[in-house]
Amino acid sequence: MIEANAPRQGQALPRSAGDRPRLRPAARPWAEPSWLGIGIVAVAMLILPWALTLVDGGNYVTHLIITFFVWGIVAQCWNLIMGVSGVYSFGQLALFQVGAFTTGVLSFSVGVSPWVSIWAAPIAAVAAALIIGLPTLRLRGIYVVLLTLAFHELLRNWITTGPQWISGGGYGLARVPRLGFDRLLGPQYERVFYYYTGLVLFGVATYAIWRVLNSPIGLAFRALRDSEDYAISRGVDPFRFKLFLFAFSAFFTGLAGGFSAHYNGLASTSLFDFGVMINLLVMIVLGGWGTFAGPIFGTAILTFLTELLRAFDLYRILALGVAMAVIAVAAPEGLVPVLTRAFHSLFGVLFEADEPPAT
Amino acid sequence: MEILDRLVQALYSGVLNGSVYGLMAIGLTLIWGSLRMLNLAHGALYIAGAYIAYGVLGGLGLPVPVTFALAVGGAALVGLFIQLILINPILEKPGRDSAALIATLAASIIVQSTILLIFGGQTKQLPPVVDGGFKVGTTLISYQGLVVIGAAVVCLLLMTIFLRASRLGLAIRAISQNMDAAKLMGIPIVPAFVVVMVISAALAGLAGVLLGSILFFTPSGGFTPMLMAMVVTIFGGLGSVGGTIWAAYIIGLMESFLAVYVGPSWALPGIFLFMIAMLVIRPNGLLGLGEVRRL
Repeated sequence: MIEANAPRQGQALPRSAGDRPRLRPAARPWAEPSWLGIGIVAVAMLILPWALTLVDGGNYVTHLIITFFVWGIVAQCWNLIMGVSGVYSFGQLALFQVGAFTTGVLSFSVGVSPWVSIWAAPIAAVAAALIIGLPTLRLRGIYVVLLTLAFHELLRNWITTGPQWISGGGYGLARVPRLGFDRLLGPQYERVFYYYTGLVLFGVATYAIWRVLNSPIGLAFRALRDSEDYAISRGVDPFRFKLFLFAFSAFFTGLAGGFSAHYNGLASTSLFDFGVMINLLVMIVLGGWGTFAGPIFGTAILTFLTELLRAFDLYRILALGVAMAVIAVAAPEGLVPVLTRAFHSLFGVLFEADEPPAT
Repeated sequence: MEILDRLVQALYSGVLNGSVYGLMAIGLTLIWGSLRMLNLAHGALYIAGAYIAYGVLGGLGLPVPVTFALAVGGAALVGLFIQLILINPILEKPGRDSAALIATLAASIIVQSTILLIFGGQTKQLPPVVDGGFKVGTTLISYQGLVVIGAAVVCLLLMTIFLRASRLGLAIRAISQNMDAAKLMGIPIVPAFVVVMVISAALAGLAGVLLGSILFFTPSGGFTPMLMAMVVTIFGGLGSVGGTIWAAYIIGLMESFLAVYVGPSWALPGIFLFMIAMLVIRPNGLLGLGEVRRL
């Protein structure tokens, strides 16, 4: 990927004014999408909720998938900050709550239509991200941990003890207006439309993140990670890139927060709990810190496994802690890279002609 | 006289806060200085100390000083396990910083949820070492508070002497100045790390035990003290022991003065705003070593 930008030997420099550097096909996977694969997945995802309305208990599965969409967006965004850009920010959940409470206050306490107020959520989250990011992103590691945790605590304090129209008396806003999908085909199909909305948000966010990871910005972060001094001396400004990524991820995190508030009809202060943050972090760590597919995989595992293990709720957090410890010691890069490698070493003979996976 | 009363109140609780923050922060700064990692399990060790004391007192009914010694030893043991099982295996691996962050966070979750499973989530309180107190104006100064302050000051002094005068302390200081050079001089790095971790866990446990008889605690109650200890550590300059002790008392006093004169809900925001301002002006802390790059 990196040499894709540099001219190869014996080639003319592609450097006339205004000419963008051309990337090799392998470096721009979005240019030649596999329409067949996308089509199959898209059709399956479109049919799925209708099929689930026919099955007993399918409604609940739909709910789980919508939950997966919400936390999948947040986990991917947090992974951009933590894993890809290496900023140890613990403020992602707070940004999610900024989104949820912005649209909650606007639609419930002020009375704006939820379809309008939901767009205030990402804007407020980006504004909050810029306010935190400007002083902190120039600093390193431990300072960022402290200041983002402080931001989380302050926001929690401020919202739980704030005036009635924000705090709802300490537990959050309990009657955030929903998006009104029950009027379309009747209440029994309401979830299907939430599913579609969540699917669109998840799809757009995932595609945007994928593009960013495969863009010069993603390249810059890979360069910064591999050799920071060299990257800086070649003109990569870490602060600018980190600030961009921080704001970018805040946008989708805030949007997910807003959607979640309207879907659940609830902007809850209990989402500030440390356990929720741990849950999110385990999603990233389990799947693969700094990889593209890792957080999606981790979110899927955790969302559905948590439901299966609901009977053992007391032990769940303990199990999460143990899982995190095992991953940190045994496979710090996460499950997705490990499984991919295992898959290729098992079935590598079959795919001899293929190129090795570019991880 | 009201002005004087408020002043006494602010001074007393400020020194009390500062003593506990000092005990917490010194461990954090030692680990930072030698292992170059942020120990997110520090708050869990603090609360482990308090709960072990609670369990021993309720279950065995031993006298209070023995209980407290057992609790400090128990916290140190937890720290030893964390170091041996989680930290030592990842020391030499690439991507150590993020792995250490995850490992210590995992340790903190495991400790906290174990406590939750054993003791439940209700608030608990320890009995004081000594009952009673006296009044200065309207401020009640309990003997327990004085015990906390005294114990903290003695421990901080002992720590300083240990680091200055003993061979092990010399080794720890050498490692925190330059790990590679220390390694080349034949200092056994990993055993020194273990010692640092055990000392810092014991101090955190001591802080938990001491404060557990003044404040109520819950299994997740280590979070705010850890946050404050991080503030102190950063304010004092990461890895600087002298700076950390000064910073602990400055932050403790600042917190109580803000609480008394501006309002209790302003104490934390005020300190964090101050923190941000200070990081912009003096990014290496009060007495921080002038190093360009830190994690």
